[in-house]
Amino acid sequence: MHKHHPIHCIVPPHMLEGIATKGTEAQKRLAISTLKTSEQMRGQRRALADFSAAAFRVAAVGGKERIVYDAKNGSNLPGTAVRKEGEAPTADVAVNEAYDGSGVTYDIYKEIYGRNSIDANGMRLDSTVHYQKGYDNAFWDGQQMVYGDGDENLPVSERLFNRFTIAIDIIGHELTHGVTQFEAKLTYFQQPGALNESMSDVFGSLVKQYQLKQSASQADWIIGAGLFTSNVNGVGIRSMKAPGTAYNDPVLGKDPQPAHMKDYVNTVSDNGGVHINSGIPNHAFYLTALELGGNAWEKAGQIWYVTLRDKLTSSSKFQDCANLTHQTAAELFGVGSMEQQAVKNGWAGVGLTVGAPTEPGGGCLAALLRLLGIGK
Amino acid sequence: MDVERIKFERTGGFAGMRIAADFELGDLPEEEAHTLAELLDDLDFGELPEQLMSDSSMSDQFSYTITVETEKWKHTVVTGDSSAPEKMQELLQMLNQLARKQARKQ
Repeated sequence: MHKHHPIHCIVPPHMLEGIATKGTEAQKRLAISTLKTSEQMRGQRRALADFSAAAFRVAAVGGKERIVYDAKNGSNLPGTAVRKEGEAPTADVAVNEAYDGSGVTYDIYKEIYGRNSIDANGMRLDSTVHYQKGYDNAFWDGQQMVYGDGDENLPVSERLFNRFTIAIDIIGHELTHGVTQFEAKLTYFQQPGALNESMSDVFGSLVKQYQLKQSASQADWIIGAGLFTSNVNGVGIRSMKAPGTAYNDPVLGKDPQPAHMKDYVNTVSDNGGVHINSGIPNHAFYLTALELGGNAWEKAGQIWYVTLRDKLTSSSKFQDCANLTHQTAAELFGVGSMEQQAVKNGWAGVGLTVGAPTEPGGGCLAALLRLLGIGK
Repeated sequence: MDVERIKFERTGGFAGMRIAADFELGDLPEEEAHTLAELLDDLDFGELPEQLMSDSSMSDQFSYTITVETEKWKHTVVTGDSSAPEKMQELLQMLNQLARKQARKQ
């Protein structure tokens, strides 16, 4: 027999780092050893998204067209169709949430931004629920939305996540990945990736605010409210109002999001921190919307939407987004308008000065992408 | 193949939280160790390409890094939710469960 040598394992690195500084001596030693192990395990890898629309299996149709599928805890997509456009609710709450949530998302894009679905050409909205067992995630696979049931396969006392259709902003978030795929095509890596994530949080939150008819000051600006079970000390996954404060839990650790450029996190994990640094542009949007008052989806949402549709490119960084939203505000509301000033103040609140130069040529990643023929 | 040690890491996802596990097969309950060994054997893990990634959008998908060590070789495979072959899904789900279980024991 070989030597028994259990190194054990880990949850998120930010939790370990907390233990390494604040835990008991034994906890510290364990945390430091696991952190070292994980550093060794962590490979340099990145995912460059190929946003080719050519492979789309869904045909363009006239208007709002939804299908919800059931993967029946398997991995085959899309699974079995269980509710189609116009059909009555089923007995399955996840099916109905996916149907209704994608419906409200379609509505805000159509009625407020004049966009007919993800591709602006009536693309059918396909969602699959009950993906795998114990799948604590939701994602956009390039063609459709996919939702897991959380950790439903664990005993109740150990569960951390509910089903991922429970929060409508998650549904808006996933669908907006589709919109970004057809428009700015933001590369899912480092700052362009964090902007991609932020756009999904912005419009995810706006879908919820639009559904609840809440003004910017009434909204909670939480992404994924209700997703955690009562075993977790947290209100949701991310806070646009106060990034870094959504959760602080013994098992999950602390929300690692920064709210300001001075706290920008350099990491190779999570495609270069796309779900971490998105806190910075998220907060800039929140500050802008709050200063403008009223419904965030109207003025602030319009400025961000037009910027996403017409101005951002695959390699855009935070400074580009600041400059381009400022430019869009001038085009929509006038140079020197209060709307343009609110955008300027929003970015200033996260440490970015509009009008400051962006890196020549968009930086190293853009150069590489151009070389590979991927970038705009 | 006589698998000795498995390292597993899951990053990304909607919540951006990372989980990982690093264990010797001999430390697991016999039945679990047997199932894992069979799944790896079935996949011919040592012969899999190091990058099993698709070209499609990765938005919010989990990224998995699995390293398997035997007496003779050590092999690492990186994959994602929609790029992992169907045959690998059961292995990924089992490793996820093991990582969660071990995390709670800390």
